[in-house]
Amino acid sequence: MNVNELKTTAQLAMLDIPDPEKLAQAFSEMLDNFSKMMAVDVEGLEPTTHALAQGNRLREDVPRGTDESEAVLDRAPEREDRFFKIPNVL
Amino acid sequence: MTLLKSWDRVLADVQSRTEYQNYVTAWESKIRSMLTFDLNRDRFGAQDGPLANIPFAVKDNIAVRDFNLTCGSRILENLVSPYTATAVERLQAAGARVVGKTNLDEFGMGSSTDNSALAQTNNPWNVNAVPGGSSGGSAAAVAAGLVPFALGSDTGGSVRQPAAFCGCFGLKPTYGTVSRFGLVAYASSLEVIGVLSRGVDTLETVYDIIAGRDDRDQSSVARPQNSPARGTARVGILRQIAELSPAIDAAYRETIEKVKSLGVEIVEIDIPALEYVVPAYYTIATAEASANLARYTGIRYGHRTSDDSSMEQMVAASRNEGFGDEVKLRILLGTYVLRSGFQDQYYIRAQKIRTAIRNGFDAAFGQVDLMLTPVFPTQAFLRGEGELTPFQQKLADKFTAAANLAGIPALTVPIGVTDGLPTAMQLLAPDFAEHRMFDFARRMGVDMAAMTPDGFDEGWRK
Repeated sequence: MNVNELKTTAQLAMLDIPDPEKLAQAFSEMLDNFSKMMAVDVEGLEPTTHALAQGNRLREDVPRGTDESEAVLDRAPEREDRFFKIPNVL
Repeated sequence: MTLLKSWDRVLADVQSRTEYQNYVTAWESKIRSMLTFDLNRDRFGAQDGPLANIPFAVKDNIAVRDFNLTCGSRILENLVSPYTATAVERLQAAGARVVGKTNLDEFGMGSSTDNSALAQTNNPWNVNAVPGGSSGGSAAAVAAGLVPFALGSDTGGSVRQPAAFCGCFGLKPTYGTVSRFGLVAYASSLEVIGVLSRGVDTLETVYDIIAGRDDRDQSSVARPQNSPARGTARVGILRQIAELSPAIDAAYRETIEKVKSLGVEIVEIDIPALEYVVPAYYTIATAEASANLARYTGIRYGHRTSDDSSMEQMVAASRNEGFGDEVKLRILLGTYVLRSGFQDQYYIRAQKIRTAIRNGFDAAFGQVDLMLTPVFPTQAFLRGEGELTPFQQKLADKFTAAANLAGIPALTVPIGVTDGLPTAMQLLAPDFAEHRMFDFARRMGVDMAAMTPDGFDEGWRK
């Protein structure tokens, strides 16, 4: 595990890490721990995504609930009318 | 309802209300368990109901309308929730009132509450000790007698470990029995809202109110019509238990003797896959965290940087400024294990080990009614010298995180006090057998009157 790998991972996570060295040791320590799993024979085991998974649950497609869009929009760092505002992307 | 009785209508009576406020204020100057405390803000509690005018506290990663929802993070420091979690709504409908939002490790990531970016919470038994985490504020508030119960969340032990550190009961219910609607997501396939209290009866009452299927949480499940038998004749213990501190080791042996003295048979159980709980748990938890925390971009809510030179730079910088180091570490680990080419090696493998752990518990519960293990290998640790490193704290999640991987319920039971700090043990049960654990905890007969930290004196509520 080198620092460049960590920087690439941070880019994929859309996360600035000004001091990658600071996190590198803890990161390697955990990856070493994860690699212990290679010793397990997982042949024939299905992956569990959720305990007690009960599959998709569907309901009638009818509108319900309350309109809280004003409350939600009000919590944006920057809004304009009914929109969230972001830096220019064009 | 007996244990709640003396709390009944505390908020309705002017004199007890004032004395209550003073009691909380005096404790809070020492322990700082709550990020918000306000007797008047919850306007949604029903006037009548089994919990009328009983105060409770809620971990600050669970939404309560008009209260903050900080998750202990700079990135959500100024967020006020526009809605209320289902579990809280059900308690309000029963008459209870939210009086505070409790401190936590940022986004539930930690075992000490010291990862909160907003406050330091101290253990009511010793202010130099951590309260545990991540629901450390909820545990400290309950142990100090500030509220009769509090809600927490448990992803890998975050209700049970602080309950053990502070000396109260802590329930991690069966996955899905309590709606996660309104719980800020960290690791969705593992976590569940839980309850902390000094009384089993209170815990049971609250659990029965908050449990149940919820249309707003796809993963929520209804409890079966025929609930599992409540009796316990056999209790399993793990054949291999190592690296316990002397105090926890003594409490463990003492508890086994106590269980035998109740006429219950002790059976040794082998679950070899448990050796891999920690790597499997942290692989899955960080993978899910990296996806769940992708929503914090500085666009729709939460902290936004002043650096808006580009959209990408704004998002990356907002996340850097808003997240603490432990959260960044887990996002990076989760992103790494999900990278193309690495998934089979880490994430898929961890999910298969998860299956092996679940199979191990299924086999165990064919032989025994409950399992008994330690909660954590040590008592609450002191800050400074001798403190567990963040990595050691993660390794120590082995007893608690097993229940989250398997989805089964688990309960922290206080045992006693050694060197001025509580000791505790954990009960584990098959799916939906929460009441079997409650009954057995009552049979164990914990003397909670003796388990009170200095300054615990709720004389005003009688």
